[in-house]
Amino acid sequence: MTSRPTPYALRATALGKRFGRRGAWALRDCSFRLPAGRVCAVVGPNGAGKSTLLALAAGLTTPSEGEVIVLGTDPASARARVGYVAQDKPLYPQLTVAETLRLGADLNPGHWDPSVAEAVVRAGELAPGSRIRSLSGGQRTRVALALALGKRPELLLLDEPMADLDPLARHELMGTLMAQAAQYGTTIVMSSHVVAELEDSCDHLLLVGGGRVRLAGEIDELTEAHARVSASAETADLTGHTVVESRTTGRQLTALIRPDGPLPAEWRTASPTLEELVLAYLRNPRAASLTPAEPADRAGTTTKAGTGNATADTGAAA
Amino acid sequence: MSALTSPLPTAPGPLPAAPGRPAALARDLRWLLRLHRPTLYVWAALVVVLAAALLWLAGPLTDASADAWRDYNACRDGGRCSYYQDAILRYKDVYSYTTVALTALPFLVAAWSGAALIGRELESGTAHLAWTQGVSPARWLAVKLAAPAVLVTAGTGLLVWLHHRAWSAAHGRVDTAKSWYDGLTLHANGPTTVGLALAGLGCGALAGLLWRRALPALATGLVATAAVRVLADRLMPHLWAADTVVTPLSRGPGGVGITVDEGIVTSTGAHVPLPHCPPEDAVHGCTATYAEADAVGFFHTYHPAAHYWPLQLTTTAVLLALVAVLTVIAFRLLGRSTGGAARGRRTAGAGQERQGRRTAAARRTGVAA
Repeated sequence: MTSRPTPYALRATALGKRFGRRGAWALRDCSFRLPAGRVCAVVGPNGAGKSTLLALAAGLTTPSEGEVIVLGTDPASARARVGYVAQDKPLYPQLTVAETLRLGADLNPGHWDPSVAEAVVRAGELAPGSRIRSLSGGQRTRVALALALGKRPELLLLDEPMADLDPLARHELMGTLMAQAAQYGTTIVMSSHVVAELEDSCDHLLLVGGGRVRLAGEIDELTEAHARVSASAETADLTGHTVVESRTTGRQLTALIRPDGPLPAEWRTASPTLEELVLAYLRNPRAASLTPAEPADRAGTTTKAGTGNATADTGAAA
Repeated sequence: MSALTSPLPTAPGPLPAAPGRPAALARDLRWLLRLHRPTLYVWAALVVVLAAALLWLAGPLTDASADAWRDYNACRDGGRCSYYQDAILRYKDVYSYTTVALTALPFLVAAWSGAALIGRELESGTAHLAWTQGVSPARWLAVKLAAPAVLVTAGTGLLVWLHHRAWSAAHGRVDTAKSWYDGLTLHANGPTTVGLALAGLGCGALAGLLWRRALPALATGLVATAAVRVLADRLMPHLWAADTVVTPLSRGPGGVGITVDEGIVTSTGAHVPLPHCPPEDAVHGCTATYAEADAVGFFHTYHPAAHYWPLQLTTTAVLLALVAVLTVIAFRLLGRSTGGAARGRRTAGAGQERQGRRTAAARRTGVAA
């Protein structure tokens, strides 16, 4: 099944999910757009709704409100073009590694690439005859990733894919994922609560906290849209800028802000790292979210446009 | 982005073409049987053992028991008096065991269907694995229900036929042989057991889909199947017009079979329930009670042996209708929870996308100006 390429791999509009009619909302009022071909990190604390978001995108559960469009269609119709690895890496314990790969080949006729799947398994030195039941958590992750990659999906949804892996396997599999993205233009969405491991590989960020999207956009632009400033507490006036976090120690004011206009020359400013940015937003749940409903359409270009101000404006307009 | 560190195909070869419908079905079926291979073996073993027991029962055991009964009855006539009691007891035991086993089959099917077939897959997430590996939820459920339904129908069908055969072989020859309307024998002898087993499959599957966990689904499937059996038992006598026989007081109530209603006929011809007969009158055959109630005879509304097949077939039909309802509910439930029927929203989404793009374009122009 092929369809015309859509600029967005994922598009959520006021997406919400709660379990049970009167249950708590796992995800609410979640709107974002993820351009195709991106490697997107879904970051957030435990229980933030990351898994729910990925399961909704994979068409495994339906939203309680709003909608999510996957590869230009509804999640159920897109299922054949989407790869998904759940957090606990479910596999049939009674099958062997080889049988599991044969299952993938059998169930995905027409778009199964045995070489990718086998390469992932081979790199882990897994015996084809060993039963899934006997594998360690990290080895199971490897087989689950092999299944998802062998399907050669257009969109790959990975829920905490690296959690069980040792650093070496993590590096190797991340490399495989990046190669997949580079070679086939696969959009990869992976959730994690370890921000540092995503900074090098991901170019797009979705920060989920308290069931809502707090930050969404290209990582470069998000960090550029923010500034870490320090200035004298007596003279500094942050009015007009969006303050994410500010702290006064003695006569020194340090803050993470979204500048709205040029900053005074006497302030010391620096670009925050991704981790600083994420932590600042997570520490301050009431800081205004930055979730441009429509980031500038750059899906086909590589020019790095969009200054911090422009992004902030789009956010405010939305 | 990190460099290419993993071996990757530079030019993947031609991939196999998508198979047609029958090929896909055969493939799904093959994997279902592979994944539930132990269950398949257990079911096959169960059917073979029970079938062997029923064949043994119908042949050697019934013959031996019948011979023993003939010898025993000869004792009454004052002739040679020795009979082989073990043969009588062995027949009774094997008959009871096989009948109870056949009665238990629908519950076994329900427990397995709720726990292993559906509940465990949803609990462990392997169902999600299948759904994201090219098997749509609806096909997943269809194969999961259809293949076991065929095997359950074939297995229980064979066994009830053998049970009926064994029962018939002893009928009139073995004095302790169960009557056709005996609670367990009635169902073990006919297709209602097949219907009950399929209802068990449906109840279990639905419980699994509702709970999404193995253990509660197992319990719910069992309870639901027990309820179905009790209801089917209660309903059965009312699914076919019963016969009424009226007998004079002197002859006592007449007719043997499944009782629907019984009582006395008064002098006006009215049918009323049996009056309460106190113990001191019961020793005299309740004559005073009947005289006081103005009884001139008894009536008995019941199903004679001739109604066996109509009762069996109507009850089976009702059970199959229930299976159909359970199946429809299961598919609806799964479709709703996985968005199988979400196609209608596509156009709305596309419209919003267009509108969103226009708004963004307008915004960009505004910023530029």
